Amino acid sequence: MNDTGSRFRGKRRQDTTPGVLDELEFHLEMQTRRFEAAGLGRAEARARALERLGNIDDVRRACRALTERMEDDVRRREWWHGLGQDLAYAMRAARKTPLFTVTALATIAIGIGASTAIFSVVNAVILQSVAYDRPGDLGVIWNSYGQAGLGEAAVAAAEFADLRERAHAFEDAAALRSQFTSVSGECGEAAGCEPERAVGYAVSPALFDLLRVRPAMGRPFVAADGAAGAPAVVLLSDAIWRRRFGADPSVVGRSIVVGATRTEIVGVLPPAVRFPDAPVGFLKNPADLWLPYDWTRNRTDGRGNQNLGVLVRLRPGLTMAQAQNDLDVIAQGFRTEFPARYAGPGINWRIKIVPLREQMVGDTRASFVLLAAAVTFVLLIACANVANLMLARGVGRRRELALRSALGASRPRLIRQLFVEAALFAAAGGLLGLALAAAGVRGLIALDPGTIPFLGRATIDLTVLIAAAVVTVATGVLIGLAPALRYSVADPHLTLADGGRAIGGSPLRRRLRSALVVGEIALAVVVLVAAGLLVRSYAALSRIPLGFEADGTAIAQIALPRARYDRAARVFAFYDDAIARLAALPGVVSVSGISPLPMSGEGWSGTLVVRGRVPVPGEPEPHAEYATALPDYFRTMRIPLLEGRDFTAADRQGAAGVVIVDRTLAERYWPGESAIGKHLRPFGPPKDDTGWSTVIGVAGHVRNGGPRKDGEPQVYIAARQWGDLGLVYVARAAGDPAPLPAAMRVAIREVDRDLPVARLALTPDVIARVVAPERFSTLLLAIFGGVALVLATVGLYGVMAFLVSQRTREIGIRLALGGRPGQVLAHLLGEGLRLAAIGIAAGLGVALALARAVRTLLFGITATDPLTYAAIAVLLLAVALVASYLPARRVLRVDPVQALAP
Amino acid sequence: MTSRPSLPQGTLDLLVLRTLAAGPRHGYAIARWIEDTTTDVLRIEEGSLYPALYRMERREWISAEWARSELGKDIKLYALTAKGRAELRARTAEWGQLTEAVTKVLQA
Repeated sequence: MNDTGSRFRGKRRQDTTPGVLDELEFHLEMQTRRFEAAGLGRAEARARALERLGNIDDVRRACRALTERMEDDVRRREWWHGLGQDLAYAMRAARKTPLFTVTALATIAIGIGASTAIFSVVNAVILQSVAYDRPGDLGVIWNSYGQAGLGEAAVAAAEFADLRERAHAFEDAAALRSQFTSVSGECGEAAGCEPERAVGYAVSPALFDLLRVRPAMGRPFVAADGAAGAPAVVLLSDAIWRRRFGADPSVVGRSIVVGATRTEIVGVLPPAVRFPDAPVGFLKNPADLWLPYDWTRNRTDGRGNQNLGVLVRLRPGLTMAQAQNDLDVIAQGFRTEFPARYAGPGINWRIKIVPLREQMVGDTRASFVLLAAAVTFVLLIACANVANLMLARGVGRRRELALRSALGASRPRLIRQLFVEAALFAAAGGLLGLALAAAGVRGLIALDPGTIPFLGRATIDLTVLIAAAVVTVATGVLIGLAPALRYSVADPHLTLADGGRAIGGSPLRRRLRSALVVGEIALAVVVLVAAGLLVRSYAALSRIPLGFEADGTAIAQIALPRARYDRAARVFAFYDDAIARLAALPGVVSVSGISPLPMSGEGWSGTLVVRGRVPVPGEPEPHAEYATALPDYFRTMRIPLLEGRDFTAADRQGAAGVVIVDRTLAERYWPGESAIGKHLRPFGPPKDDTGWSTVIGVAGHVRNGGPRKDGEPQVYIAARQWGDLGLVYVARAAGDPAPLPAAMRVAIREVDRDLPVARLALTPDVIARVVAPERFSTLLLAIFGGVALVLATVGLYGVMAFLVSQRTREIGIRLALGGRPGQVLAHLLGEGLRLAAIGIAAGLGVALALARAVRTLLFGITATDPLTYAAIAVLLLAVALVASYLPARRVLRVDPVQALAP
Repeated sequence: MTSRPSLPQGTLDLLVLRTLAAGPRHGYAIARWIEDTTTDVLRIEEGSLYPALYRMERREWISAEWARSELGKDIKLYALTAKGRAELRARTAEWGQLTEAVTKVLQA
């Protein structure tokens, strides 16, 4: 033992060797003798010698300091040398046990890889999602109508103007409203010059000042840009700049056609800015471009025309609660000024502020927190597994460690050796895990069809690297801890004397390993219960009848530009032409138009007046979801028409107003009688007795918002009596609908060749987006549950194999004494199942305690769903039985003679 | 007292290395040897010799080993290492160039 030897040499020199003083004393004595030989007296000779030597204290101090530094050098070198030895030793040991090494590395890599990938996503989706300066100061303002009504209704221009003038809590406020539009005219050389649909927003010029972002090139909006008569200007997003203009740096100053207006490009925003980057209430889509508009110009519009989103930035140091107080004061003023609108009976109205971050990521946070928790559990299971493996391997290496110990390697050295091994495994596993995470993040992004805000921004960046490093270090400590604990109390003499045979099952080690495996099983149960709940919830969600049949249909969404389709006759002519051409496509059996498309994320609802209905105090005013439809919509979407007739070509402008209602509405307002021939008036307050529409049909209810929500009663308005510019054309194919979207594009192009088609898709793909976030988290959690189960199984298997191998002697004795192998096998199985049972019980307890946290994510089942808990318990017991049986059946082959041989 | 030339910086190291090139010596013997060979022209501050020795030991130019002295006590015996030998060669060459250059200037 090279290292310990040199260590001892170091000690001896320090403690017992003559120091500098002896050297100096020797020097003095020799010099004194020389001067004496030259004839001086002893005292004088000594004085001369001292004089020649100089200041002894200085010399001594200098030499001492140098000695100490030298000794430090030696210690440091020894430490590094020892570390190098430990490393080399650990590598040799890893090579000698390839199965152990591969298992341990794979386990760590999975643990670290999964947690790093999920952290990267959580970092993008939650932590860094709202990437504006001091995002905590940004808030969104809504009209709120209490529990029964709309919680987050848009703000009227008049209300916005008042807010800006009266609020003290805000630095400034900006209003915006989506303006779906198209871009045509000049574009980059690389891109084609087809007209293109773009997501535009008409915004207060102050918006970007509030967000604290400046254009990457060009100029920001100034207040004058929003004024009446100002030249038309536009700011582009980085996305459309790249997509349409090929990232041409000379684009600023050029003009394009937005909608039907020639507009000058004044700047391009940085890539990270797409405000609203994630849905902010009804503002759903990330922006392609922004048009400046001073919304206070519209303050004379009615206060009922609530169509703006309002963003505010709090004054520095103010809290959201203080801002809410400020808004409450303003709301009180509104009630006094406009009692009819804001203070009537049953109007539970207030103005509320929602933090922007909450608004943007509030919905996704719960499921990602759950994923992060699950992946942490998986990592802990992986650590426990590797610790267990290391303990198991420790048995095989007991002799060698005992030998090293007997030869003078101190216990701290041995423990360091174990931690070096742990660190080596953690580091190698961490690197592998990082590669896994990089692939995993790409996979995660691909898994979601763009429904999870900010997910696309997830990458392995510096923050993620740091997190991965922290996780790796923690992993190293966790997997080194158990073996180190084990050796910190072991007695090497005993182990060596024993010849390394039968005491591997020392009570401490066995307890440690059992505790680890129980913990693993418990954690796996928790992850599996969460996964089970989500899977059951998703299944329940998928079973909900939506009320229509999307399979076999395709859609084409079109926004007719108001500038060219400025008269109703033109719009209706387009409908007729488009429907005729679409119906003529080969394979199309029926075609129609609808707006909005169910489950497309767009919604339209409002109040309703039912003729002859007596208002019931305390009951909310009739409210319904609206849609405009062309004839044949119900047949095309296979929505049952329960009563009455469909719209026909005769239901057009000028003819008597007709509507079709759904069964919910019919049953609510005309219970026990036919709705056909009854009258209602969409929107508007009950003023007089004119403008009624007649109910001509009753259709089945459709879940417009997706399977989670029942939805409100529904009213279909005849599209030819309304004139919707944004119809979605739906076509049903006789056979495979896959070729339909391309054919539909051609057909629409034939009607109007300058028209951009906003969206072409198979309907199932469109509506799948409604449950895509649920699918995402369910699938991931199921994967983690599977990984947790496999790891826990491997852990239990390892412990059982270990128990069997350690007890070969004992089993031999039992067999020799007449024990039947079956009994011994049963005993071992009992041991395995006992561990599993403890783990399962603990896991179920923890899962029950944590269940509340997943409650909001579940649909159709409770968080304590007994079936899920029971199924997971049974699954784990079954797996535990197999994991115990496989190693335990070896006892059937134990030969007592061999087992007992010395 | 006659005035003696003072030792330029770093020269002590060179002298010690040169001294040890002739074989291992203890500190006193090194001082003696320098004094004798320079016929007492260069009298070094003997105390400063020891920190210099320790420093060179730390740099591994010289190694130390304990040996019984003339007075019957254990005393450190210094010897040149391979590293020290290389250092001596380099410094000797440097010294030659330096003195040659200075001499040239002074005689010009």
